[in-house]
Amino acid sequence: MTTTIRESRSRKLFHIINALLLGFICLIFIIPIWNVLITSVAKDVDVMGTDYLLMPRSFTLQNYWRVLNSGYMGAFKNSLFVAFLGTAFSMLITVPMGFALAQKHLVGRSVIMKAIVFTMVFDAGIMPFYIVVRSLGLINSMGAIIFPVAISTFNLIIIKNYMASIPVSLIESATLDGCNDMMILLRIVLPLSVSIIAAVTLFYFVSYWNRYFEVIMFINDSRKYTLQVVLRSLMFESDESLGGGQYVYNNLKMAVMVLGMLPVLVIYPFVQRHFVSGLMLGGVKG
Amino acid sequence: MADKRTVIRTKPPLWTRIKTQKFLLLMLVPGLIWYLLFKYLPLLGLSLGFTDYGFRSKVSFVGLENFSRLLSSTIFWNAFRNTLVISMANIVFYFPAPLIVALLINELKSLKAKRFIQFLIYIPYFFSWVVVGSIFVNLLSPSSGLVNNIITKLGGESIYFMASAKFFRPVLVSSYIWRQMGYGAVIYVASLTTVQPELYEAATIDGAGHWGQLWHVTLPGIRSTIVTMLLLNLSHVLLIFEQVLVMYNAAVYDVADVLQTYVFREGVLAGDLGYSIAVGMFTSIVSLTLVLSTNKISARFLDEPIL
Repeated sequence: MTTTIRESRSRKLFHIINALLLGFICLIFIIPIWNVLITSVAKDVDVMGTDYLLMPRSFTLQNYWRVLNSGYMGAFKNSLFVAFLGTAFSMLITVPMGFALAQKHLVGRSVIMKAIVFTMVFDAGIMPFYIVVRSLGLINSMGAIIFPVAISTFNLIIIKNYMASIPVSLIESATLDGCNDMMILLRIVLPLSVSIIAAVTLFYFVSYWNRYFEVIMFINDSRKYTLQVVLRSLMFESDESLGGGQYVYNNLKMAVMVLGMLPVLVIYPFVQRHFVSGLMLGGVKG
Repeated sequence: MADKRTVIRTKPPLWTRIKTQKFLLLMLVPGLIWYLLFKYLPLLGLSLGFTDYGFRSKVSFVGLENFSRLLSSTIFWNAFRNTLVISMANIVFYFPAPLIVALLINELKSLKAKRFIQFLIYIPYFFSWVVVGSIFVNLLSPSSGLVNNIITKLGGESIYFMASAKFFRPVLVSSYIWRQMGYGAVIYVASLTTVQPELYEAATIDGAGHWGQLWHVTLPGIRSTIVTMLLLNLSHVLLIFEQVLVMYNAAVYDVADVLQTYVFREGVLAGDLGYSIAVGMFTSIVSLTLVLSTNKISARFLDEPIL
């Protein structure tokens, strides 16, 4: 009797410690983001020379207004352009390919799958990739940040695995009704795959939005820079510990940063569960 | 079952199969062209690592000269050493973190709390390295950052983290954990739900306490996920690039320059293409060897290899 009571007591203690630990972990994730958000809506007087850490002291949208009327808007528009166009292009080639690879009777299926998985294991590296993009004449064009990264093998495999799990009988009966493969994809498979399509669309959107090194590698014209590139130079080149020259108020910097994370903050809460199921489907095994 | 029967039936001749599948094959074409152009053509480009491609208009074969050059370059060895040190630190400190957090989350009773924490810690994974780097610059800023604020309040001196040879690597590793941990934790939590509850009952009957259950039921139950995650980590660990490219600066080149940033500077910025391809090839081969040998070792512990 006494042992069970003691054990349940130690369990209780364990649960309290566990909750405290996880609470602490949550703070590690909340505080840095919270600080960015509250600083981005702070007035100049509140961030000048004083600490602005956890307690918001003012609220103004003035910083966003300034960003809206500054050169950062050009980069923001470029990012939107690349993200929307890139995502559309990626989906347009990834979905049909995933569908075709999901059909077990496809001619050459296993060879193609092996060739695709191989590219995940062995990558030629940055420079051969750069040389290919350069010889295609894409340097300094927006196409350079879309076409070379249009397919993510991970996303392709997620779609392929999901579509392969759709019962074959549905597809077979549609074939008997005289549907060709194009019609089967559009009328039967796509309506059944809405949630996975949504997840992959967002994976692509976020990956285009977040791209940095491809942009600085392929784009030299600063008018074509995306938000991530200008955010990087704003945050790192004006940082005092790195001997930055011009002084930019922190509230303005944080407003640009919020723009940089905007798609994630806006879209993520609605699709989180799709992200999780998508990740599970994309297991390494093809 | 139906599948098996179709396999046994003799297949129609190839040409007929291609004709009946013309739409399917058409759907493959754009994707296949993409893979050839952007994944397989670069593999051919690797051969330029044996040439002096880059500065002269005429490309000539130089054999292994680029490789002997890299072996005698101090910058290369510095980058190689940094890559190994940072990778080791990432594996040692980053790899167990998501697993431990997932085990803690798994002990929570409230489903709502479980969901909330996973939702929260998964957020940074969708931020770019620029955003994550910026968040750390902001957090570690010598005058206005939270961390230095605490240090000075406790009577210490402000630390210039981003420009400090001593602190830059810990900053890299902690920002890596901050961004990537949620992804791993979410996968582990999902994997933990697949461990069969009967096994816990059986273990309790056998007299296993909570630690015993953890050791004999939980961890063995998710071992294939653990190995998969290890392999995934090992496959990018030596290729660490964008994070460093975003966060490093001339003040910390000595401790932060990794193989990929070295390749980038030599190749894209300096234009020494043949040589930088050779450095990249070296990196890819070392990385591949690491993954394949881990896969081989793990195959002995699991029923089947992961790759």
